[in-house]
Amino acid sequence: MSVRLAREAPIPHLAEVADQLRRVTVEITSPGGRGVGAGILWAPELVVTNAHVARASCVGVGFADDRQVEAQLVVADRRADLALFRIPPHGVAPAAFADSDTLRVGALVVALGHPLGLRRTLTAGIVHALGPVRPGGRRFIHADVRLAPGNSGGPLADSAGNVVGMNTMIAGGLALAIPINDVRRFVASATASEAAASTT
Amino acid sequence: MTTVMDLSNALAGAVERTSAWMFAVHGRPRLPSTGVLWHAGLVVTANHTVEHDRDVTLTGPDGRSFSASVAGRDPGLDIAVLRAVADGVPVADVADDRDVRVGHLVMALGAGPRASAGIVSALDVGRGRHARGELLAVDLTLYPGFSGGPLVDVHGRVIGIATSGASRHLQCAVRATSVTRLVEHVIRGGRIPRAYLGVGTQPVELPDPLRERLGLAQRTAVIVVHVRPDSPAATAGLIIGDVIVSIDGRAIAEPEDLVAVLQPDRVGAAATVTVLRGGEPRDLQVIVGERPSRA
Repeated sequence: MSVRLAREAPIPHLAEVADQLRRVTVEITSPGGRGVGAGILWAPELVVTNAHVARASCVGVGFADDRQVEAQLVVADRRADLALFRIPPHGVAPAAFADSDTLRVGALVVALGHPLGLRRTLTAGIVHALGPVRPGGRRFIHADVRLAPGNSGGPLADSAGNVVGMNTMIAGGLALAIPINDVRRFVASATASEAAASTT
Repeated sequence: MTTVMDLSNALAGAVERTSAWMFAVHGRPRLPSTGVLWHAGLVVTANHTVEHDRDVTLTGPDGRSFSASVAGRDPGLDIAVLRAVADGVPVADVADDRDVRVGHLVMALGAGPRASAGIVSALDVGRGRHARGELLAVDLTLYPGFSGGPLVDVHGRVIGIATSGASRHLQCAVRATSVTRLVEHVIRGGRIPRAYLGVGTQPVELPDPLRERLGLAQRTAVIVVHVRPDSPAATAGLIIGDVIVSIDGRAIAEPEDLVAVLQPDRVGAAATVTVLRGGEPRDLQVIVGERPSRA
């Protein structure tokens, strides 16, 4: 394919996508203060991350503008490796999401997180495969994207910056992300049970 | 191509199209490799993934199984051509690899489909047994099972066959042109001929004074330790103790270099073998033969 670069035509880039994702990628710090994980700003007062990143019922959440808030656990599902936290209102617009069921192998994706503590670092690659790691297992997005510890809980997004998955594991050099539609179902049931609990 | 999203869609579309002519190749225990329907009835894969004396089966893009047999092998290039009747599977779209440039975006694909992206990092890689102009080096990850799979451009056209057999450190692909040449041997003659001299060799160090006197850049050459009777080498007058320094001007520094020079196309052609005999260079004319098949 000849990507013709006319003098006036700007070269397509991911800088705006990166900026957009930096704003909605939070840092999760546990009370012990050991290391940092990532999280996604799901709604104005909700942050979602991996259960293995936030093991306490109260964690610190850091934003791109260096503000720090305390987050209270709503619910954690260790099996699904997902945890939902409630934060005080802070005025940052939450992430935009895509339908992870329409994702295709070969599509460009980017990951944002804090690999090895390098805060809000962008890595890029493509969707490697879709499906379980072993037959009959849980479905993941397998991405040919370089991740490191510190990416866990952070967003995997398409080339428009819409979040398609939550980076969760590294296996055989590949990034494994929980499809965002699975996260959506988890958040829906978590908020529903929270509402039911508060009315009784 | 105007936005990153267009590029992303082009890549995903390319994977979709290419997966129509990719096979999982079951030619070794455990891990299947990948194959490409290069020509009607002929599937190309990596030679090192298809064991000798083994039944080979293919799994097609729609999950159907096909039995296959080895039609030809080129261990030098690490390419095997399999014969299989795969009705309803389209033939791969093979590109003209002369248009490939360093920096071009490419994908390596495995049956599934599975994909990996990167760029062409070098053209004209000459390494070990591989002649110059036959390999592309790529900056991408070849995941387990990707050997024998296609290296495609953003349109999904094949520019090479990925192989991890070429080098442990470099990710390489055999250029489509070289693969097509091998496939044409099978179409014309039903097999890939193996060029043959009939010598057994070992590497040998060249003393510095000798190298200086003869103006040789290479530090090593190969010494003939065995000459098969009635072979092309015997007919040309090679004898035990001859030190082969070059063939047709290409330096022979180690036995692997002989394999690189002895391409299938050389069968029947004349070659000038430069040897050192008693410390003096001497040119011998050899008509390259075809390796007798293993009885």
